[in-house]
Amino acid sequence: MASAPSDGTADGLLTPFKIVVAGGFGVGKTTLVGAISEIRPLRTEESLTQVGVGVDDLTGVAGKTTTTVAMDFGRISMGTRLVLYLFGTPGQDRFWFMWDDLSYGALGAVVLADTRRLSDCFPSVDYFEQRQVPFIVAINVFDGAPSYDAEDVRIALDLDPNVPAVLCDARQRASVKEVLITLVQHVLAAGPIDSHPASRYLGPAG
Amino acid sequence: MRRYDRWIDGEAGPVVRPYALTGGRTDPAGNTVLDLIAVVAASGPTPGPAELAKLGPEHRKLLSLCQTPVTVADVAADIALPLGVVRVLLADLIQQDKITVLPRRPARPQTSTDLDVLKEVLDGLRAL
Repeated sequence: MASAPSDGTADGLLTPFKIVVAGGFGVGKTTLVGAISEIRPLRTEESLTQVGVGVDDLTGVAGKTTTTVAMDFGRISMGTRLVLYLFGTPGQDRFWFMWDDLSYGALGAVVLADTRRLSDCFPSVDYFEQRQVPFIVAINVFDGAPSYDAEDVRIALDLDPNVPAVLCDARQRASVKEVLITLVQHVLAAGPIDSHPASRYLGPAG
Repeated sequence: MRRYDRWIDGEAGPVVRPYALTGGRTDPAGNTVLDLIAVVAASGPTPGPAELAKLGPEHRKLLSLCQTPVTVADVAADIALPLGVVRVLLADLIQQDKITVLPRRPARPQTSTDLDVLKEVLDGLRAL
């Protein structure tokens, strides 16, 4: 396509997009992010006060209120200004509170599913449905896993008819690329949205 | 062996509690949390040596990383500090007008122009 620059973004401003990669523990999120992007470790430290512990004292070990978790973080640069960031959600339940942070201002989400443990991705599907974050389901085809077609999975997950479900191999760059293309097409097909919910997060306009 | 020694071996290097760098503060100044992909950039007059000397080494490093527009996530990865710490330190620099948060397109398309940009993303992905 490469149409001539004709709008506000054509001035070379950095234009980042965020895609969240979710799914159960061990489903292949790290593999998927690593397959398509330069992996850069991003450490994050989250205060447990956010989940209601309510302790501010960080000086003593007894009052330890933080925990460090490594986050999968990928980056795909397209040209000089368009950059796609992939963030994997922490797999453990105790890091649920980070999901709002990761999902705020996201273009969309990929829910990675494993047919052997399909129920592991229910919480992710619920989360993005409730937050009205556009998402697709990508079924990571593991060796030795029972093979289903995407339609079986769609029925099992009771997905909305317009939510794409695709098979993928999280190890293969070309396959992951197709997953991301499917997601962006899904967002495009939904057309423009009205506005964004207010949030204390600072960053995206709108 | 002291009580905590078993957690930290020689390879850990010097150990400083992450939030010691923020003076124990966990909430950013202004109580505004920077989005992971918010774009920040140095702004205002270039601080002179005297002004730079007032900043801590982490603030100075962050300021140098923001000389060209950059996302918060990239800054955090480059400085190798936890995201929560980086957010607090960046908020300090914002309060001091040393860096600014640049306006950005909405996360999801709101106008036909936004859709065009997203189509560019699609083309970019296909070209990978």
